[in-house]
Amino acid sequence: MWSKVYDWLDERLGLEDLYKGLLDRPEPHGNWWNTLGSASLFIFIMQGATGIFLTVYYTPSPDHAYDSIQYIMNGVAFGWLIRGIHHWGASLMVLVVFIHLLRVFYTASYKYPRELTWIIGSFLFLLTLGMGFTGYLLPWNQRAYWATTVGTSIAGTVPFIGPFIERALRGGTDISALTLSRFFSAHIWMLPALLTALIGGHLYLIMRHGESQFPELDD
Amino acid sequence: MNEEYKKKVHKKYEKSLRKGERFWPDSIYKDLLVSFAIFLLLVGLATFIGVKPEPKVDPNDAAYVPRPEWYFLFLFQFLKYFPGSLEWVGAALIPGVAVLSLILLPFLDKNPYRHYSKRKVAITVMSLIVVGIVALTGVAVATTPPQEEVAVAGSISEQIVQGQDLYSVYCVECHGAEGEGGIIQGVEGLEGVELKPISSQDEMYTRNDGSLFDIISYGQPNLGMPPFGTSFGGELPPGDIDALVAFMRYTWDDRAELPPEAAQASAIPALGPDEVPSYEVHIQAISKRYCVSCHRTGKKNNNYLMGTYEDIVSSGDNAPVVVAGDANSILLQVIQRHAVTDANGNEIGVMPPTKELKPEYVDMFVRWVMAGMPETADDAAALATTATAAPEAEATPTP
Repeated sequence: MWSKVYDWLDERLGLEDLYKGLLDRPEPHGNWWNTLGSASLFIFIMQGATGIFLTVYYTPSPDHAYDSIQYIMNGVAFGWLIRGIHHWGASLMVLVVFIHLLRVFYTASYKYPRELTWIIGSFLFLLTLGMGFTGYLLPWNQRAYWATTVGTSIAGTVPFIGPFIERALRGGTDISALTLSRFFSAHIWMLPALLTALIGGHLYLIMRHGESQFPELDD
Repeated sequence: MNEEYKKKVHKKYEKSLRKGERFWPDSIYKDLLVSFAIFLLLVGLATFIGVKPEPKVDPNDAAYVPRPEWYFLFLFQFLKYFPGSLEWVGAALIPGVAVLSLILLPFLDKNPYRHYSKRKVAITVMSLIVVGIVALTGVAVATTPPQEEVAVAGSISEQIVQGQDLYSVYCVECHGAEGEGGIIQGVEGLEGVELKPISSQDEMYTRNDGSLFDIISYGQPNLGMPPFGTSFGGELPPGDIDALVAFMRYTWDDRAELPPEAAQASAIPALGPDEVPSYEVHIQAISKRYCVSCHRTGKKNNNYLMGTYEDIVSSGDNAPVVVAGDANSILLQVIQRHAVTDANGNEIGVMPPTKELKPEYVDMFVRWVMAGMPETADDAAALATTATAAPEAEATPTP
């Protein structure tokens, strides 16, 4: 019975080919440091899942943002857990992605033929920092407000185009309702869309070239 | 990069694949294990450490020490070494060059070797950068002054209790302890002004939380009410005004139900018939609610303050206002609606000036003073047992 179902699905989906192409691949002898990439992906998925739940109650307006987070923390069943995971996951993601970057650097895995994997990876790192920066403002508390004030004013010191960047980030001269809706939109739509696309490219390249082996003395 | 080099790389990789493992299940097993550990770590952090509560945005709080997320602290610290017109070097030029070199690293590093022993320059440079980032983060953490701790109400009950405490300090002197209003007495500049009640059904049904917030924040300058919000030069940050609004709504609006925890936390404890009241448990609760709004520094009150035990017992131009065991103490006279005259012949009015205290609170004050003004609950309990035990002790030696 089950083998018939499997055969039917296999004929249409090509499960056997998927297994051979994706899973049953040879790899160089592994190392625990090699798990950091998949760990980054896992935290990204966790952040996505908890983030989607948070948007159910979160309201990106200065009048309601703070109160909606208070409600998530105190009123919603397990809201504190979802927000806690999202809060700590943000810090952990920056940390894990950075250590992953260092691992790739120290094992020189960015060299031929994996240059493009590194370039995409470095954009993924910068986007992760961007996610942290935009997400930090959303709770609309003192810490968030002043961190964003400082962060956007640093962008304003760039010669010539600085004042323009600062105004574009803030949506005006000061941190306001526009800044909050801009950061919210970037945090839940623009940056995650870019991240997802680049993660896809990153994974394709890893499958194309295989996981790099740890360098030996003659490498 | 010549074809021969590429061929060599591929050949070596083929060799490592032959003595390697399978992606499934060997590598996946390790990945899943690490991901599961991370999941447990996140749940643990969320459960046992949680998210530190922070006060609501207050753009007018100049005392707040701004600081970025911890992973940007190093950049924040780095910028301090580029003051004035050099700031753009630290803020744009150096980070810009660093980011570009990061992205273009495969083209900058022409070294064909991969083993650590043949990449001494690259490894040294990267290690110095990492050490620098960690050191700058450490310096930033060590040198930024600690943030002033602010109580942040988590639950609605905590918010209501916080609101009640604020109301007792900032609002009671004009609006009365129950929001009943009346003719203002003893407030500089507003003497004799008549206020309508703010706790009536009309007020509560026609003003939503937003307009209550705005009235407290901006005041009603034409009617004599000063602004309280920091945005308009007052003392209260937005979080405090939210707490005040929550207190008013849950206490006075008959459509809202006061949560039992809030009612319990703000209730003034009842006193048993033989119990001796203490400052800690009873007097402080009454004075906080009905007296300190005027009897605090900066108000017209003959310098009699009621914020602490010492102040109640010994402060004021007419000190001592209370004398242990003296039923004619000034405080006891005025709260029982007997106006008295001080040593200079000035009249001390009845207190509170507008609405008298409930009889059970007056009784608490009287019994507290007569019993010797115990500060803590333990002192009061000791006084209560000696008071009742004394007659028996006298009775025993005379058979």
